[in-house]
Amino acid sequence: MANAESNVDNNVEGQNVEGQNADGQNAEGPSAEGPSAEGPVDIDAVKRDWVGHKFDSTQFRVHGDRMLAWAEACGETDPRFTDADHPDFQAHPTYTAQFGAKQLFPKGFPKLGRGGFDAGKAVEVHQPVHAGETLTGESEIHDIYTKTGRSGTMIFIVHRMTFSNEAGEPVSTVDWRIMRSAKD
Amino acid sequence: MILDLHTHSVRSDDGRAKVENYCQWIRKKELPLDGFVLTEHRQFDDTSDYRELEDRYGLVILKASEVETDYGHVLVFGVNDDLRAAFDFARIDNSLPVVLESARRCGAVAAPCHPGRVNVGLFAHYEQKGPVEGVEMVEVCNGGSRSGEDELSAREAEHFGYKGFGGSDSHIVSRVGNCATQFDRDIHSIDDLVAALRDGHFEARTWRTPRAT
Repeated sequence: MANAESNVDNNVEGQNVEGQNADGQNAEGPSAEGPSAEGPVDIDAVKRDWVGHKFDSTQFRVHGDRMLAWAEACGETDPRFTDADHPDFQAHPTYTAQFGAKQLFPKGFPKLGRGGFDAGKAVEVHQPVHAGETLTGESEIHDIYTKTGRSGTMIFIVHRMTFSNEAGEPVSTVDWRIMRSAKD
Repeated sequence: MILDLHTHSVRSDDGRAKVENYCQWIRKKELPLDGFVLTEHRQFDDTSDYRELEDRYGLVILKASEVETDYGHVLVFGVNDDLRAAFDFARIDNSLPVVLESARRCGAVAAPCHPGRVNVGLFAHYEQKGPVEGVEMVEVCNGGSRSGEDELSAREAEHFGYKGFGGSDSHIVSRVGNCATQFDRDIHSIDDLVAALRDGHFEARTWRTPRAT
């Protein structure tokens, strides 16, 4: 699932059907955070203020050739995912992990820590995705938490995208963890 | 009886192992383990029921926690409602003396893990803040340790008179059991484990290949 941990700036497919996010704003990209907090950040307060906040809605068309390329990149061999002529041809279960929201964080979201990296994605599949569908990805801040390790204190922000099909049925939930260093 | 006292499943944010996959791996590789303890990060899993897996694979599967304190990470065995009310498992700045005293008062055992590790190990904090009363045992064999960390743990544990136990700290299935703890008795429940740890009749075991720094 290497592609699922791609650069946070890279909206792989990113076909923005609506052209605007849920707030009616033009896409601002992943750098739409608010100003850096001065002094120690109160993570509990940030969590109270932002967890559950919905901030982006983006649509994505599902293309058969992209489904094949994704399955191949994953090393998949099951013909349901690798053969477009298979009667049950469908997207690889991790397919929606490649989609990025127009905004990584909500407008005004405080800048927590510094540096950081893509800490991976977890995909929960609800039902198959098929070629030709248009999916809607709704974004929210699902969780903010801290942990300590050899390198110091880390802040994790979980950006959850919930994907649904044109019938409004949920097809997958993708939790995208972004790690920031709490070091000054 | 040999138990791996320190493992993480997918219930931990960085865990990539399903509990059944641990069981399958232990049996497939014929590891000398009689069971393992799930020590999920900053939480206690009070919902999962692994009794069916225990029966199917003939393994003991117990649940504990790994919490974070001002002196590094600490395993807590025998978690109960009283202990969960005593401090916030999700926080990273719990007071070690409070965790130790709360565990004692609530009938549990709290034991620092990977104490030789920088930043999150007990002995790194001892260098700066001095020793803490109430520590009785530490993890001297940790499957995730880098070169020199377990050696420091064993050396300092002996210096302070702490008993040493072992755990793999596995987050993926192939690491389970590379460090563990051997007991002089059978253990079938978390109460058995707490009693055995308190009695101190155990020793750390390791089968791991040392990692490079």
